[in-house]
Amino acid sequence: MTAHHSILLKNIRQPDQHTLAGAESRGAYSTIKKALQIDPLKVIEEVKTSGIRGRGGAGFPTGMKWSFVPRNSGKPVYLINNADESEPGTFKDRLLLENDPHLIIEGMLIAAWALQSNWSCIYIRGEYGYPFSRAKKAIEEAYAKGYLGKNIFGSNFNHDMVIHRGAGAYICGEESALMESLEGKKGQPRMKPPFPAVSGLYQCPTVINNVETLANMPFIIENGGKAFLSIGVEKSSGTKLVSASGHINKPGVYEIDMGYPMKRFIEEECGGIWQGRKLKAVIPGGSSVNIMTAPEIEKVNMDYESLRLAGSSLGCAGFMVLDETTDMVEAVLNLAHFYAHESCGQCTPCREGGHWIEKIFTRISRGQGLPGDIPLIENVCAQIGGHTICAFGDTMILPYLSIIKKFPEEFKERIGEAIRGQVKPREYLNVVYDGAH
Amino acid sequence: MSGTNGTQTELVTLTIDGKVVRAAKGSTIIQAATAAGIEVPFYCYHPHLSIPANCRICQVKVKNAPKLMVACHTQVAEGMEVNTHHTSPEVQAAQAATLEFILINHPLDCTVCDQAGHCKLQDYHFEYNAKPSRFIENKVHKVKAEPLGPTVMLDGERCIMCTRCIRFCDEITETSEIGMLNRGDRSVITVNPKKPLDNALSGTVVDLCPVGALTHAKWRFNTRIWFTKQTDSICPGCSTGCNVKVAERDGEIVQVKARLNDKVNKEWLCDEGRYGFMRFLPKHRIVTPHIGGKAAELNAALLEASKLKGQAALVLVSPDLTLEEFSVLKNLVDKTLKGAQVALAYRERPLSKVEKILVSPDYAANFRGAEFAGLVSGNLEESYAAALQKLRSGAVQQLLLVGERSIPLPDQDPALIEGIKKAAVSVGILTDAGSAVAGALKVVLPGRSILEKSGLLVNRNLRLQYTDRVVPFPDGSEPEWRMLGRLAEKMGAKLTSAEDERALTLSYLSATKQLSGVTIRQIKADGVCLKSLNAATSTAGSQTGAAQWS
Amino acid sequence: MSIKLSDKAEARLKEKIALYPDPKSAAMWALYIAQEELGRLDDRAVEWTAERLNLSPVNVQELITFYTMYHKEQLGKYHVQICRTLSCAVRGSTKLTECVRKRFGTKPGQPSADGMWSYEEVECLGSCGTAPMCQINDHFFENLTPQKLTEILDRIEKEKPDLKLSTIDDRMGEGLKGYPKSQII
Repeated sequence: MTAHHSILLKNIRQPDQHTLAGAESRGAYSTIKKALQIDPLKVIEEVKTSGIRGRGGAGFPTGMKWSFVPRNSGKPVYLINNADESEPGTFKDRLLLENDPHLIIEGMLIAAWALQSNWSCIYIRGEYGYPFSRAKKAIEEAYAKGYLGKNIFGSNFNHDMVIHRGAGAYICGEESALMESLEGKKGQPRMKPPFPAVSGLYQCPTVINNVETLANMPFIIENGGKAFLSIGVEKSSGTKLVSASGHINKPGVYEIDMGYPMKRFIEEECGGIWQGRKLKAVIPGGSSVNIMTAPEIEKVNMDYESLRLAGSSLGCAGFMVLDETTDMVEAVLNLAHFYAHESCGQCTPCREGGHWIEKIFTRISRGQGLPGDIPLIENVCAQIGGHTICAFGDTMILPYLSIIKKFPEEFKERIGEAIRGQVKPREYLNVVYDGAH
Repeated sequence: MSGTNGTQTELVTLTIDGKVVRAAKGSTIIQAATAAGIEVPFYCYHPHLSIPANCRICQVKVKNAPKLMVACHTQVAEGMEVNTHHTSPEVQAAQAATLEFILINHPLDCTVCDQAGHCKLQDYHFEYNAKPSRFIENKVHKVKAEPLGPTVMLDGERCIMCTRCIRFCDEITETSEIGMLNRGDRSVITVNPKKPLDNALSGTVVDLCPVGALTHAKWRFNTRIWFTKQTDSICPGCSTGCNVKVAERDGEIVQVKARLNDKVNKEWLCDEGRYGFMRFLPKHRIVTPHIGGKAAELNAALLEASKLKGQAALVLVSPDLTLEEFSVLKNLVDKTLKGAQVALAYRERPLSKVEKILVSPDYAANFRGAEFAGLVSGNLEESYAAALQKLRSGAVQQLLLVGERSIPLPDQDPALIEGIKKAAVSVGILTDAGSAVAGALKVVLPGRSILEKSGLLVNRNLRLQYTDRVVPFPDGSEPEWRMLGRLAEKMGAKLTSAEDERALTLSYLSATKQLSGVTIRQIKADGVCLKSLNAATSTAGSQTGAAQWS
Repeated sequence: MSIKLSDKAEARLKEKIALYPDPKSAAMWALYIAQEELGRLDDRAVEWTAERLNLSPVNVQELITFYTMYHKEQLGKYHVQICRTLSCAVRGSTKLTECVRKRFGTKPGQPSADGMWSYEEVECLGSCGTAPMCQINDHFFENLTPQKLTEILDRIEKEKPDLKLSTIDDRMGEGLKGYPKSQII
């Protein structure tokens, strides 16, 4: 197996790493102590130097995001740790929250110091009960030891941290929806501008970072931005947590250096395709990206630029592997059901179009496809993408369009069976309840 | 124009469909386009509500932007190049798609929908899409005919989730009765049964609803809108002077809608005004003159009425006459009833928090007009109370009532009726044959309701507006100004040579120094502010806030 | 008449409200607290939450119907939620659904006659590396097969463990003794 740098998962297997004592014995909170002696603007500079890009999916440079926050606006600055990890195929943040919460808290403290924020919040998805309790306990321990609260490490820096529990809504991972939810409302995305850095939570300057992004901060400040930059590849520095799932022998979370070849990742880290079967396709970035066929992944590397150039996206690296037996009609219906179910209902194209597409895919799956269905789906998708308030509409169409484009014969076959009135019996991936959504 | 305040608005120059447009910095594309006469369709946008940009039909192309932008939310910028559906096929496609999306779960029940004929869904569909839907799946079914409160009914399936009603109740009335449940295509608006939509402006949400989802409980299934005559007018309920559009059929008012006027009522209207419009039209009309309770010839009645004498007379005036009528009355008093005591029926009442957003505390639509005409001044409420007291005491020998609302709730004030009966000469130009006042007067002359007249009104904030006749008037009735003119003739004076209302208005405008150059068209547009016209001459108001006119 | 929950619930909510710059932010906590106390989010819960946080009742209803973890109707004492999204689906989650459907004979979201069980399919629970899986109340059961799930359900039926682990209480920090623990790496 290839030796990757271990920034995030270094201590993850230590059974007591989730406790303050355990984490501290391995160096936790030593970096924030030093950071508090550094000028906050210099901390931001260091983060900029590191080249780290947001690990939540969009890949926006973190240092730049921080530098958008106006200084001395007269309003408090809020820091939000986005732990709403709901992208299908993603479970990396859960691992950190469960097993190394102090790494996250320390990263948040560094960010808070850099941003001069006195209040932060971990917004964790409601389904993560166990990670919630671990992280909550860690916050309590940090408070008890004076690492949170007033005059942290004898400085005049005060910081309060809250863990907030979501209640089941994918869209709350979108940063403006998350803020709405945190304000006690439905998680419906806001129109931008204004951007959160200027007017976010309670109309105050707000920075929202992913768990993994923040967990990298202790390393960056401890070792310097340049050390981080030296890991990985040019425009994608550092390591990346990949949540590997699907038809592989060893699903799990892996920390890889950015730029690692995908084929090798599947063969070595993931232990190859299960049951001796062949690879059919990979959805590399969580479900909201273009699917890649087996031939397409032969030469591709796992970093932001390589995957973009290959026509897909690293996203949040929710790496879903599908073997040769996978029925793509069923796979795309599965995702269509997910997106229709999770559409917040606010803007027209996503609210109506998402469900429309799901209904067409359901029809095709159940042997009632029509000749014009595929062009219709393509057309409807084209009118959702780019026309919605948030990125949900833009991204939900990616798996639909790429799957019907890259596996056209499977759709043709299903629709053909329907037209001929000879629908083959098959095992469905999706349970369809009578009349239920 | 002089008189604008010092701060200069910064302008930017952009092009919309190739047309060069100047717009205020910070304004939006939709505002710039509308001002330039370029129509951009919209559902969720409202100039006086927050901007959720959820309907997506106002998308336009902005050069160098990676995707289409919503015109309601995107601010103008120097050098911006905008293309709307008039010039961009991409925008046309997006608009057609938005309409198709909106309609996939819509019941398409125009044939039984009250909104048909004035529905933005119909209008835009015909204008921007007009293609059969490609949607062949089952539609989502939602709640039908659910009352949201005493005044408003919801058809959940027609709702397009624009959230205008929700935002109105959140941002304007701050009562937050309406919410949207569920998510995705199962979204539906609703109220909590313990907190129904029951505020003083509740009917406004029906006006704001761009489709047929919200309808007036009172007016549902009344008539098709194309069978009605619709008139732009002013609500006479109080001195706010809300701009309204009134639909009339066979003499009945079948719907009242708020009209957008940024400077008066935005697009809001109170329920009392809206649903109470008919109260200005008494059931039993006075259509013939009466002397001593018996029908009489007009000439005889006028002769009898002309026995009114100057100094002893008390003239009580309804506050919902037109400005021109107040002017004619002033003329009559000056020429024939010199020294008479004139009192305008002005009363105030306490208002709820929501009412205060829009409603004025008076029942006196045009009291400012009476002040402007120089008919009354000072503390109107006190003078009126004193005048009524005098009438009750039996000390009034000569009485002239001008307009139905010159006396308040007479049936509940027997002393007033007794007072009227004691007068030697008592004349009223009235409309309600059923009132005790009409029975107590010596002479009754048929008048008209404000809903049957056209003319000028001045609102509480000194905005001159034009009220237009919304219902036909009954045969035999005369507007007060003309009746007053005839009466004056019997007393040897000539008040006006105008033949009809329009001529009266024009002659009033040209004869009034402060209004020289003001046209009816200008007044009809969104009113004319008398404050700015009289900035130099007016002084601070009295206790009722009335301005003094020099 | 204003609704009052137990002193403990009232105190919990107060504690939560104090954590935020704006009390309204505690709305989601209020619903969790009310749901735990009342078993479901009925009119009382709406009224209580609205009153405590100065919200319009309809805005509380909005939250209940927007977020999937709030329930207006009473669920079974044990609520089995089977993840149906892609990673679980390709590793056989429909078989788990079939298994519980047959076992309970009820419709999704409908409690069994004895009030013990209910089930539904849910979207991605963030446990794709240990697919297929299900969540019973607040506890994850991973790497399942219909057989394993049956064993777990049998055991729960017999032992009736307190799986209603209050995430507000923080009693679940150490997981549930003897039951499979999450292992995601």
